[in-house]
Amino acid sequence: MLIVDQLRKDDPRLRLLALAVLLGMSLLLTGLWYVQVVSTRRYQASLQNQTFRTVRIPAIRGKILDRNGLVLAENRPNYSLDLYIEELRPEFEAAFTRARAGRRLSRATRTQLQAATRYAVVSNAVQRVARLLGKPMDLTEREFRRHHDQWPYRPLPLLENLDAQEIARFLEQPRSTPGIDIESQPVRFYPAGTAVAHLLGYLTRDDQVRDDEEGGFNYSLPSFQGALGIEYAFDKELAGKPGIKSVVVDSLSYREAETVWLTARAGQNVVLTLDLPIQLAAARALRSLGASVRGAVVVLDALDGDVLALVSSPAYDPNQFVSPIGSEAWAKLNDPKLQPMLNRATQGAYPPGSVFKLVDALACLDCGALTPASITNLFHSRGYYQLGRRAIADTAPAGDYDFRRALARSCNTYFIYYGLRAGRDRLLTWAHRCGLGERIGLSTRQETAGYVPLPEDVKGIWNEGNVANLCIGQEIAVTPLQVAIMTGAIANGGVLFWPRLVDRVDPPEPGLDDQATRHFPPQARGLLGAAPLYLHLVRQAMLADTEDPENGTAFKAFHARDRVTPLLKDFRVGAKTGTAQVKDVHGRLREEITWLASFGPYETPRYVVVVMVEGGGSGGGTCAPVAREVYQAIEQRLAPRAGTRPQLARDN
Amino acid sequence: MRSTPFTERHARVDWPLLVALCGLTLLGALFIASATLVNEGEGGALWRHAWFRQVVNYGVGLIAGALICAVPYHVLSRWSMVAYWAMILLLGLVLLVGTVRFGARRWISLGPFPFQPSEFTKIAFILALAHYLSRPPDELRRPWVLLQALGMTVLPFVLILREPDLGSALVFLPVGTAMMFVAGVPTAFLRRLLGGIGVVIALLLVDILFAPPRWQVRLEPYQRKRLMVYFGKDFAPANANETERQRARQEQRDHSYNVEQALISVGSGGLTGKGWRHGTQNALGYLPRAVAHNDFIFAVIAEESGFVGSVLVLTLYTVVLFCGLRTAGQARDRLGKLVAVGVVTLWFSHVFINIGMNIRLMPVTGIPLPLLSYGGSSVVCSLIAAGLLENVYLYRRLY
Repeated sequence: MLIVDQLRKDDPRLRLLALAVLLGMSLLLTGLWYVQVVSTRRYQASLQNQTFRTVRIPAIRGKILDRNGLVLAENRPNYSLDLYIEELRPEFEAAFTRARAGRRLSRATRTQLQAATRYAVVSNAVQRVARLLGKPMDLTEREFRRHHDQWPYRPLPLLENLDAQEIARFLEQPRSTPGIDIESQPVRFYPAGTAVAHLLGYLTRDDQVRDDEEGGFNYSLPSFQGALGIEYAFDKELAGKPGIKSVVVDSLSYREAETVWLTARAGQNVVLTLDLPIQLAAARALRSLGASVRGAVVVLDALDGDVLALVSSPAYDPNQFVSPIGSEAWAKLNDPKLQPMLNRATQGAYPPGSVFKLVDALACLDCGALTPASITNLFHSRGYYQLGRRAIADTAPAGDYDFRRALARSCNTYFIYYGLRAGRDRLLTWAHRCGLGERIGLSTRQETAGYVPLPEDVKGIWNEGNVANLCIGQEIAVTPLQVAIMTGAIANGGVLFWPRLVDRVDPPEPGLDDQATRHFPPQARGLLGAAPLYLHLVRQAMLADTEDPENGTAFKAFHARDRVTPLLKDFRVGAKTGTAQVKDVHGRLREEITWLASFGPYETPRYVVVVMVEGGGSGGGTCAPVAREVYQAIEQRLAPRAGTRPQLARDN
Repeated sequence: MRSTPFTERHARVDWPLLVALCGLTLLGALFIASATLVNEGEGGALWRHAWFRQVVNYGVGLIAGALICAVPYHVLSRWSMVAYWAMILLLGLVLLVGTVRFGARRWISLGPFPFQPSEFTKIAFILALAHYLSRPPDELRRPWVLLQALGMTVLPFVLILREPDLGSALVFLPVGTAMMFVAGVPTAFLRRLLGGIGVVIALLLVDILFAPPRWQVRLEPYQRKRLMVYFGKDFAPANANETERQRARQEQRDHSYNVEQALISVGSGGLTGKGWRHGTQNALGYLPRAVAHNDFIFAVIAEESGFVGSVLVLTLYTVVLFCGLRTAGQARDRLGKLVAVGVVTLWFSHVFINIGMNIRLMPVTGIPLPLLSYGGSSVVCSLIAAGLLENVYLYRRLY
């Protein structure tokens, strides 16, 4: 080395010193090389770790629309007042300096005093805003400390759900309040509220990491997850892809800057087959029986299985799940008798009662127990059916019945007689063919299969008495939706459809997005396998139920007081009423389940309306008026007259 | 008899040294500006900015260094004993009336300018010891002479240790040893001296780290903790319960904080760094702002300019050191050689301890990096020391 060589050769000690210096500098060089080149990744990782906090930004949740694009679920801005702690730092320091008053403090008291003055500053700021808004606001020291210790980089929510007046007052204040600002968050809103509650489901707060997300995050902005219904079944589509932003924090974890790494991708829109005006009418009709009536209405398009309305009552308000629910509200939601969370249309299984006589009729006609020729034969009923030593009561009076009268009058004796001739196995097989007791495969977490045993399940267990009970719709349990599908098959000439709830999933901005619309076309499930003539005979008998003034159990509901003028202008409706008994464990009658299964118009069957009410009076008295109101609403939809344009969701 | 050096034909100025010094001052001003950017912001009066005050310090230091060159070093050395004892007096005065900052009594206030005698003591010490050791080599074999030389080293060491300023005190040991070594003190004596220092340090460490509290030497608590951090020793005593252990762990985190953060700064700089004024460690306060522009300025440089910058800094220092060693080799007498050796060892000790502390090679001691760290006394003294080198260089051929 040039410089070293210049050292005098005759001074070994100086050269030794030079060597030592060189060695020392090389040691530093090696050390720096090791730290800065070899292990730089490790230190960069530590730097990232301490400097960045990642925050999940949930995507805007997709809308849920009815078949005509009316909004069933959307997002609304929710304004909240947030405190940005880092902006108050100069005030913290000033207050601390004042409080210290030049004293020398030990480390512990210093920390304590800092915390106390910090809270004092924040508390003052909060009180200033509270006075401004004329609304008491409370931030306890514990809350503030907890927030400050854990997430000082994160805004502290002070007041949520600001109304327009409060926003105006805050924004119009003469001088701005440092550190406090208005923030808006999208919040789910269901314009129709309770009327569409069950089918839509509800959302629950969910700030956990999901499996399919990249990496983790330090905290999440309020995110929601579908817990039930369509919100649950299509959660993935509706939720979209959350974004990630990173917050740069300083050594005290206060926020310094923010950058968005990954923009959130809005969720897709789910378009249902539901027809909102019909749904609203059905809900209104059902609720007209009483505020806490327990029942369900299903309106189906018999030609393709589209669910036009699906109402269950009593209902919860899906909007109330957006914010935390109080214990009183919880107790109400979990009322053991009313069970508002239960979707009775798909999740409740009830004995079908006389509605099952439709299955009896098909089974008897199919096996020849009844023939098109023999159905006009008169059968004499004594007013009860004697089975061994047991007499099964009949609500229909004693007299002579042919098939039409027996169905319209709902004569138990007639159907037990012929049902027993058809036999247990045929009845149960036909029940399954009609879709009773069969899973539909709803993805909404709201389904029960009900209970209809297979013939081999009850072989040797059921006696004739059980089969007689089956003939009048006891011993088994079915859901209103299953009954609707069966009625639809009878109405449309024998095609059993899968009920269709969702028409399609649309990308949030069609055309701008590479995502394509996903369609869910109607799907036939199978054929009933009954001759068209038999179905026609059954439909004819069902028409008598609403049109035969003598015998029809639903006649009164479908006609004006003069017993002549039909209440429906364009529709002729075929119906079957039912009343089933639910007994408790001691065999005592607990209550009656009343039914009406119907279709219309009679000539070209299209719509199926099924009404079920727990604890109703009778099928004809309780359920038929509800169905008639629904048909009236359908009539209105089909032929909108002046002044009765289809109702918009917002008008509700 | 004595002709002025300016008429000589050979180089009058040690250009590599001067270039290296200018490079260091430039880097110093730049990175002090970067390190204090967050606290001071941009704009405003120049005097408000640390980098500007540092530039003024450089100016003062250069003038002082140039003035030192005007008087040949052997003339200076005649007054060195006076200066030495004056500084010893000042050190005593500091202990009595000094200004306390950060828990240590190191400064004397001269109006608005705080003044740190320990820095100037180093210069006086080098001159005085060189003067003392430049006697005929035969005399250096006498134990009494050697003991006196040793005493001259230990006296400021003890006084500065009392301030307390362990780092600055420790610097006296290598400087004194190196000067004695080059002066030609018998190897046997040196070996015994080094052995003795080694044994004392080892005993101290064992005592501090392992002995039960009653048996330990009274050391400032923070000094003890810095050593424990360096050696990775658990703060909690063996018989501590859970809460004590937790408190100890917290304390340990607090005390290893600076080192950790310096290491993260240096390491995250990588090969090329994050760019001037783009370092985050200092801006976000992870590297404490109170020390970023003085004791830990190297962490800022390394973070913002990466390994490339670190190498540049090391190269500049190496140039200074080897210019000094060359001057020592070319000096016309033993006095000049010893002065140069003293200055080189002083600079080297500062550089090694300070940079070593940033990469965890050395324990944390508050010792400035020559010319780069912010601080008037340190800058002026470093430049006076460089002036002494230049002085020896200038007068190397005057017989």
